[in-house]
Amino acid sequence: MVDKKVIKNVKNIIDGLAMHQNPESVNVLEDIGTNSKVDEIREMTAKALVQKNMPESLKVVITNKGKGINDMSTGVAMTTINELLSLDDKTEAIRILEDTVENHSDEEVRDNARSIKALMALS
Amino acid sequence: MADLLSISSIRERIFNPTKHEKTVARSSNPFAQTSFKGNVLTADVFVSENDKTNEKQNNAISFTGKLKASALVGSISNFGSKIQAGIETVVAFANRIKDNVVNCWNKLNSTEITFEPAKEAISKAGGKVSDAIHSMFEPGISAKQIAKMEDLSVPRQLLMDNVQAWEASLAS
Repeated sequence: MVDKKVIKNVKNIIDGLAMHQNPESVNVLEDIGTNSKVDEIREMTAKALVQKNMPESLKVVITNKGKGINDMSTGVAMTTINELLSLDDKTEAIRILEDTVENHSDEEVRDNARSIKALMALS
Repeated sequence: MADLLSISSIRERIFNPTKHEKTVARSSNPFAQTSFKGNVLTADVFVSENDKTNEKQNNAISFTGKLKASALVGSISNFGSKIQAGIETVVAFANRIKDNVVNCWNKLNSTEITFEPAKEAISKAGGKVSDAIHSMFEPGISAKQIAKMEDLSVPRQLLMDNVQAWEASLAS
């Protein structure tokens, strides 16, 4: 049984890093959050990275295999996609998706990026 | 004739006794009632209560002179020292009580509970209370605090610690 205080602390730290202006905060989220064994932590981290809406943060959840939209957990992937679709300014996200579809070495990552790009065009 | 007079006086005493009782009432002599032929003792041989009070009054100290007044003041100052001594005694008593209480507290602190179940129960209860108080007053980590931190090594460490705690609780 996970202590509620620990869950609250993790959520607050990730939210704080999402609001942080320093680009280094993306590295903190990527290093610790996206590599966690816990689905909930990866989910929270992916949401935070999308909310930052920065090229570096969006690349983490779009171009990396096993993270964000390419996560093995359906829940994490769906949450990341939903967060991308909810963005007010989708310009940067679409640009990175296009770049991933065209240039990424992994086919699965390219396919995922293509699907998300189509969804974003429709939304 | 003299005999007749004496008989009449006897008769007067028999038929009018209250005349003589008045004389008796004025005196504290108990033998006055029984004194024959009305020969009451004029001199009171017993010391009356009034006389005793008078004697007491006479023996009472009257502070008239300066010397006597100073003696009175001296005695009052002696009373003061006695009161002072009394207060000091009370203070000493209070200090003794305090020392006893402190000793008792120290003894309680140094007393080790050897009964293991009781010891565990007490330590568990104490731990629970401590945790409850800690969580009640601990402000926790807020997102705003993290967002304002210039040095990102602190939130990095905090996130790492909490993530590890979360993962450890799932593993156990």
